[in-house]
Amino acid sequence: MNLKKVLSPAVMFAELAGDDKESVIRDMVTRLARARGVESQLPEMIRVVLEREEKDSTGLEHGIAVPHGKTDAVASLVAGIGRVSEGVDFASRDGKPTRILVMTVSPAATSGPHLQFLSEVVRLLKDEAQRQALLDAPTAEAMYNAMVR
Amino acid sequence: MSHAMTVLVLQLAVLTLLATLMGHIFQKRLHLPRVLGELSAGMLAGPFLLGRLVLPGLHQPLFPFADAGVLPVSVELYGIAVVASIILLFLAGLETDLPTFMRFAGVGGTVGIVGVTVSFLFGAGSAVLFLPSVQTIMDPRALFLGTLSTATSVGITARILSERKKMSSPEGVTILAAAVLDDVIGIVLLAVVVALARVQNGGVDWSRVGLVAAKAFGFWIAATVIGILVAPLLVRGLKRMQSLEVIAGVAFALALLLAGLAETVGLAMIIGAYVMGLSLSPTDVADQIRERLHGLYAFLVPVFFAVMGLMVDFAALRGALVFGLIFSVVAIAGKVIGCGLPALALGFNLRGALRIGAGMLPRGEVTLIVAGIGLSSGVIGPDLFGVAVMTLLVSSIVAPPVLIASFNGGSGYRRAEKSAAGPAARQVQLTLPSLNAADFLRGRIVEAFRSEGFYVSRVDMNSRIYRIRQDDVHITLDQRGTVISLNTDGKNEQLVRLILLEELVELRDLIAGLQKMDESGPGGGGRLGDDLVGGLFD
Repeated sequence: MNLKKVLSPAVMFAELAGDDKESVIRDMVTRLARARGVESQLPEMIRVVLEREEKDSTGLEHGIAVPHGKTDAVASLVAGIGRVSEGVDFASRDGKPTRILVMTVSPAATSGPHLQFLSEVVRLLKDEAQRQALLDAPTAEAMYNAMVR
Repeated sequence: MSHAMTVLVLQLAVLTLLATLMGHIFQKRLHLPRVLGELSAGMLAGPFLLGRLVLPGLHQPLFPFADAGVLPVSVELYGIAVVASIILLFLAGLETDLPTFMRFAGVGGTVGIVGVTVSFLFGAGSAVLFLPSVQTIMDPRALFLGTLSTATSVGITARILSERKKMSSPEGVTILAAAVLDDVIGIVLLAVVVALARVQNGGVDWSRVGLVAAKAFGFWIAATVIGILVAPLLVRGLKRMQSLEVIAGVAFALALLLAGLAETVGLAMIIGAYVMGLSLSPTDVADQIRERLHGLYAFLVPVFFAVMGLMVDFAALRGALVFGLIFSVVAIAGKVIGCGLPALALGFNLRGALRIGAGMLPRGEVTLIVAGIGLSSGVIGPDLFGVAVMTLLVSSIVAPPVLIASFNGGSGYRRAEKSAAGPAARQVQLTLPSLNAADFLRGRIVEAFRSEGFYVSRVDMNSRIYRIRQDDVHITLDQRGTVISLNTDGKNEQLVRLILLEELVELRDLIAGLQKMDESGPGGGGRLGDDLVGGLFD
């Protein structure tokens, strides 16, 4: 899938605020909702992402987590990538702190490529050099370029 | 008019009934290909056996001899058979796996081309040698007999390979690639032969032959290239209507259109239908179109084979019985030698070469269509049509046991066996604790792919194998007992893993939710379904 269709520098967040999983997720959903102009739906968006996290942590390996949720409060896929430089505990499979969050909030009723977006980002970040490039990018713009180049 | 329609409907009723029942008996009881039962149904009901009897209410035979024409069936009934042949070849085109074909085009292509050439020469040559009225290989009858020796019906072979898990063996992929090429060359050959038969009056005008061949090949190449380039754009446009029924309907209409177009430029209709199917085969909706046309296929194709059976004139065949036997043996020898020798030269041992030769033996729909076109255009008579049907019967009965026996024993390949799967193929497997859990999770995975915008289709109703497609993404899901496997290329492995992960999480949540239902009865100690049981005795 073409990441340019989903990502833009506006949904790349160089430093998320928060010192635990929930506060980092809340911060990222808030920034995403603001960037996409869906702030009125913020409580519902936070609820579905945290509800999914409750079922099982979305922390994967190599410092990557993919928090996501589905709700008809959004009309189309809302997605972005955020960083936590200090790392936060996501109960990841390899026990490492999470430093990269790949997030989606997608409509529940209509079909759409939300897992395809997540898997494409994960596929790219499988490469250590690519992960490092994303972590080293100084600005949101540079993060975007690192992902879509 | 109304009487003709009454007769047509009654004919269809009898043919559908007999072909369905006899097809089933041949397949399930006699363990022979279904098509042989359908053909036999036509022979039994036809104007040369039971069909000649006068029916009391109808005051005429149900399948009377045609008055003056060469076809012993009515124009109306033949028309339905023609539509059925278009559906058959359209679906054959849709099923062609272009990437696999391209990957094994080398060995398979050589086997296919040499096989076609040898079979054609053997077929046409036997006509010159054994039919006194045929003097030269350019005689339309020799050309027709040559052409109908070339086609391979890979359906029977594919089923046996699949049952013995040899589809991905070097022999398996070589047979499949060669058979695809066989169809293509056979169909182009048919175009040339049909056109030749139409233009020929006595002597052979080689410039015209060249022109006809160039036209046939040109139409084939141009239609295929344009089709493959335009089909994805067309499908993308049609997808906006968000109805797979519309896509399937438009695709079928285009197959009919291209079939008609091929006929108007002097080629056979099935070429157009096949090209349309081939053009749509790489698109992600190919399986969906096939699924939606399958009902039409299931009803009309047995009628097609039965109509071909109807045309077998036993009296005419009696005269050509000896030639028929010779021709059948020659046709078998042509394939075994023509396909076996190049296989032997390209790294297979004697066992492998025999497997490939045997796999290429079965004849089917293309043979019958070629023979039907020959008969309807008057180029071949009922005797040679009977010979074609006889060859089909003999080769289709001989092939399965020979092929099954040939696959006993070791490898048929001299070089180190290469896997048929691409270099980057990946398999993700999950073993569930019970069959019920595996069935349930499979249903969820299928729905998950659908909600991601993928097209999912079940390969056949008797298996739990699914094809999952979207644009150029191909994934197969295969459930064997409690094990669910998903196969794809390395690029899509992450997607497959994430979908499985997500569905496992949902499944666990579901089970936890059900357990809560268990505990939420009166006093917290109720059992699941207490209310339902109580209601039974209210």
